[in-house]
Amino acid sequence: MRALLRPAQYLALAAYILFLGFPLLWLISASVKSSGELNSLSVNLLPRQWQWDNYADALDRQGLVHSAGNSLVVALVSTALVILIALPASYVLARLKGRIRAAGVGWILTSQVFPVVLVILPLFLILRTLGLADSLAGLTLVHTTYTLPFALWMLQGYVTAIPVDLEEAGAMDGAGRWTVLRRIVFPLLAPGIVATAMFSFVSSWNEFFFALVLLQSPENYTLPITLNMFIGGEGKVALGPLAAGAVLAAIPSIVFFTILRRRLTSGLMAGAVKG
Amino acid sequence: MKSRRVVVAALAAAASLLFTACSSGGDSGDSGGGGPVTLKFQSLSDQPAAIAATSKIVDDWNKAHPGIKVEVVPAGWDGVYDKLVTQFNAGSAPDIIHYEAAGVAPFAKDGYLADLTPYLSEQKKADIPKGVLDSVTVDGKVIAYPTELQSYVVFANKTLLAKAGVTIPSGDTMTWDQLRDIAKATTRDGAYGLGWGLSSPTAAMVALAPGFGGKYFDGTGTDAKINVGQGEMALPQLVDAMAHQDNSILPVTLTQSGAKALAPFYAGQTAMTIQGSFQAANIAKDAPAGFDWVVLPTLAGPAGPAQAANPQTLSVSKDSKHVKEATEFLEYFTSTENLAALNEADTLIPATTSARQALTTKLGAQNGWKQILSSGQYLTSAPYLFVDKYAQWKDTVATPAYQKFLAKQLDAAGLSKALTDGWNSINR
Repeated sequence: MRALLRPAQYLALAAYILFLGFPLLWLISASVKSSGELNSLSVNLLPRQWQWDNYADALDRQGLVHSAGNSLVVALVSTALVILIALPASYVLARLKGRIRAAGVGWILTSQVFPVVLVILPLFLILRTLGLADSLAGLTLVHTTYTLPFALWMLQGYVTAIPVDLEEAGAMDGAGRWTVLRRIVFPLLAPGIVATAMFSFVSSWNEFFFALVLLQSPENYTLPITLNMFIGGEGKVALGPLAAGAVLAAIPSIVFFTILRRRLTSGLMAGAVKG
Repeated sequence: MKSRRVVVAALAAAASLLFTACSSGGDSGDSGGGGPVTLKFQSLSDQPAAIAATSKIVDDWNKAHPGIKVEVVPAGWDGVYDKLVTQFNAGSAPDIIHYEAAGVAPFAKDGYLADLTPYLSEQKKADIPKGVLDSVTVDGKVIAYPTELQSYVVFANKTLLAKAGVTIPSGDTMTWDQLRDIAKATTRDGAYGLGWGLSSPTAAMVALAPGFGGKYFDGTGTDAKINVGQGEMALPQLVDAMAHQDNSILPVTLTQSGAKALAPFYAGQTAMTIQGSFQAANIAKDAPAGFDWVVLPTLAGPAGPAQAANPQTLSVSKDSKHVKEATEFLEYFTSTENLAALNEADTLIPATTSARQALTTKLGAQNGWKQILSSGQYLTSAPYLFVDKYAQWKDTVATPAYQKFLAKQLDAAGLSKALTDGWNSINR
């Protein structure tokens, strides 16, 4: 019985991975199918005829690569800004007690209940007054502002999980405030920082509505805006090129995750040892 | 989505009052020191061929008119309403706006669009069929140039029709009764006579209602009153009879989009399918080799072959500093040659009679084009275009009610009541 348990576990894991990965597999499959096959009744994962033209079509259309570059810049800068602001703020939020903390937490939660559609017009007018409407800088600020509350909330949870005793022990050993933060808190917080960075990056990379309204010039369009143009009026959808574009759009996210994943693992180990 | 639009519209109205001081007029290029005028043209052209056709028209214009430069700003159809709401309220709308009649009519009502009546040439006016011109006329003012149209047509699998011994109807039009008979005759050997993607049925129901004398709405704006009578109920009841008495409609298609209903048509599971005319290009491209298809004559009800038109349009922002120049460009853009080229690229029906004739001369011999272009002559104004809360009624009342009716969860009286009560509740 016990001998069967391990293969069963691997089987379950493989099934789970396949289940999670299936949408991506299907997307890749759709990206190399012909229009005729995509619009037929046949359900086959492997295309009958590999249609690489979809990728050429996707790249030819509407400046996909240029808009991917714009998305990357906005996502990376807004992620960096979010982490830079959320890190000290979340520490304060987690360690503070009393009314200020309650007010801070209340504000964070309140800010999450506004639908984007309600804030878009005032935001547009403010950015316009600042000369930042229709600019990547303006969009970066908006993404930062919009992601920050949740990032702050997320990160303060990680800070709370670090026992205050560790900091006190450090202080007892003669470490100053900054040393305690740098040598004890930040290493233990690394997994949280990485997870928050991932969340911020993906939020910005996928964000559609703000970019749709704020960006007016085609040279500033981000990837979701460009991909949206593959979907036409009257129900017309260029399915193959859209799938190809979506596959290309997923690559930077996957690369970013792959890079950060290693940090996430090492951070977890660092936390385990020190905890 | 639509409820979000309502929220945006309400917010926009309030915010426009608050932020008037912040707004500094349109972004339309100003000649300033006497240089060329620059017009921003927000285009929704999405197909590669249509994008190329639009670019060519604009390039040709720019070469011939060094004093009036047109810049194309590509945008997507999805979300364009929200984008336009913000642009209009922030005073940053492009000079020339590409959209559809149903979309721009509310903006015209709110005073965001320029009155193009004084600029529309008599020749152009005479070239646009009255029903189509009516669809872009709000409160007696022409607020847009119509460019491209679609109609609902019947695509048929000739092989299955021949197997069933059906003679393909000749002439310009065919009746719905003929369609029903053909559907019954071709429902055999495991195949169904008709596939009709009615997952979002309201658009088809209101567009085809004029053939049965149906109008749905009397009056305009918030004063509009709904009337769901015999003319409005005839088509839903016909679909119900075909689906549940004749069993000649493939049931699954009633829950699918139009595009999805093409797959069983290609597979020979349905002998006919009712689709937007633009699908001719997709069928020509995607149907399996040897698939023999034809477009049947335009469907006619007891009141004739009329269908409601919701043309794609080009309008001019009221904030534009160059309304006259923009309209000159629109006159050029909608010339016979240009509209024919654009509609050929988009496989749609030109909004002017001359361009439709030019396209018939050029493409009439190609499969389907003659019937599709012929159907364009029957397009007429749609009362729902000028009803303020139509979009809300469509999404929150009509679509679920039709879906329930087609699924036999509502009877005809229940559907009529749901459509009427729903409207009265929304339009209080």
